[in-house]
Amino acid sequence: MTDFDWNLLLAVDWPEIGEATLDTLTMLGVSLLATVALGLPLGVLLCVTAPGQLRARPRLYAVLSLLVNVLRSLPFVILLIVLIPLTLLLVGTSIGVAGAIVPLVVGAVPFFGRLVENVLREVDRGVIEASQAMGARLPQIVLKVLLPEALPGLIGAATVTAVALVGYTAMSGVIGGGGLGDLAVRYGYQRFQTEVMVVTVALLLLLVQLLQSAGDRLVRRCRFD
Amino acid sequence: MIQVRDLTKHYSHHGRRVAALERVSLRIDEGTIFGIIGRSGAGKSTLIRCLNLLERPDSGEVRIGDDALTAYSERQLQQRRQRIGMVFQHFNLLRSRTVAANVRFPLELAGELDAAQMDARVDELLALVGLQDHQHKRPAQLSGGQKQRVGIARALANRPDVLLCDEATSALDPETTDSILALLADINRQLRLTIVLITHDMRVIRQLCDEVAVLDHGRVVEQGRVIDVLLQPQHAVTQSLLAETGLVQGALQGQWRERIGTPVLKLTFVGEPALQPVLDKVGREAGLRVNLLAGTLSEIKATPFGQLLAGVVASDVAVSALPDIFAREGVRCEVL
Repeated sequence: MTDFDWNLLLAVDWPEIGEATLDTLTMLGVSLLATVALGLPLGVLLCVTAPGQLRARPRLYAVLSLLVNVLRSLPFVILLIVLIPLTLLLVGTSIGVAGAIVPLVVGAVPFFGRLVENVLREVDRGVIEASQAMGARLPQIVLKVLLPEALPGLIGAATVTAVALVGYTAMSGVIGGGGLGDLAVRYGYQRFQTEVMVVTVALLLLLVQLLQSAGDRLVRRCRFD
Repeated sequence: MIQVRDLTKHYSHHGRRVAALERVSLRIDEGTIFGIIGRSGAGKSTLIRCLNLLERPDSGEVRIGDDALTAYSERQLQQRRQRIGMVFQHFNLLRSRTVAANVRFPLELAGELDAAQMDARVDELLALVGLQDHQHKRPAQLSGGQKQRVGIARALANRPDVLLCDEATSALDPETTDSILALLADINRQLRLTIVLITHDMRVIRQLCDEVAVLDHGRVVEQGRVIDVLLQPQHAVTQSLLAETGLVQGALQGQWRERIGTPVLKLTFVGEPALQPVLDKVGREAGLRVNLLAGTLSEIKATPFGQLLAGVVASDVAVSALPDIFAREGVRCEVL
């Protein structure tokens, strides 16, 4: 990199970079929302049905847990390809921003769900016992005790998931997913335009930094002391 | 009234069956403060959790008033528990909620009041426990004693007929313990609320309780009015628990006697005689020469009592006549 010609940066197609950045942000935003919407209930279900927990259902838990492990052990690149039929069925296309969102969500939901399960399990058992002693029913315990008490941890889990999703969006460039990853693959890798690669990597890095510090700030703001 | 009949509960621990409770029966009258004392592992914690069925006993019956809780379904229990308050050793407050919101929590669960009524009730409860000025704080900003006050206010929110206290003062320093015990005594008087507490601390029993049951290895080994059990403990476990409080113990006296060489009296003063110079008076009348060996003066739930251990040489009367002489002055005397 010592003989990298910085003037090449001037030649970069900045409008296209801008568009790709927007695409990445769209993919990230939509898939993060969907991941939280689906992964939070999954995490709650995992937490309460685990053996010895509030509503222990060892068989259901075993099945869910296996499913989560299978999805998490598949490399994301493979998931991208395996899911093409499902994506076509759901959104009508398997490429572009829309095509990338289905595999992103499928990849991130088990990850986030497992994080949620662990965060919820950290909630003080004494507090749960106290709410049972006050006559709380399971939905009340989940909504009024588990989730609020675990809020800082849940935000932390969402932050980690968002950062992982940034990586996934970049990878989805491989199947023509659009966004910064797509750009990096098409220009930086296939056409040897290193400068495009540098710019996209820098932007992705910036995005990750922003997400992490925003997440950290939120966690700090809602800590309970 | 709370009635517990033949409560039995076993745990399996590394494949071995361990008895936590063994045919425990209790009868707790309305409005009394009933203490259950025992060392750790005696089964206290299991017993109090069986009273609101947080733990299901293997067999036996729990009745609170007319409600046979052990026959209730989970849904019926949830309803009933709203009127059984519980206070915990480690407070178990919701960290995410303010003081006021913690007290409001059981009202939200019950869902019987509208928002304005809930706020009014919360204000009332905070005033009762003296925390009006802290209502917007979070538990993390409170001292241990303040946290327990929140716990008590929360437990009282739905106007329970029973308050269960699970080692409510064990995590507190002695002064704070005193103030929490005073608050509980106050609540018992004001609300005519039945309180059942478990503790390993005889001081809690002495200061607060009307009746006591001593639990050992899952069995009730002694039970009765606090003043009787404390002054005339029958069981070795009770005696050893009492030894830590400085009360004169029968078990200790044997060793002393031979070295002292005179008869030894154990004098027990309860109530007014504890405050009078009874020993001096009897001593002059009966020509006693007294060698004081040990003594305490204390209170059992605001009743003063004293115990003295004294070697005596009587010149005018027989030692065997002394119990009757002391009895006339309202003092119980045993010649050891």
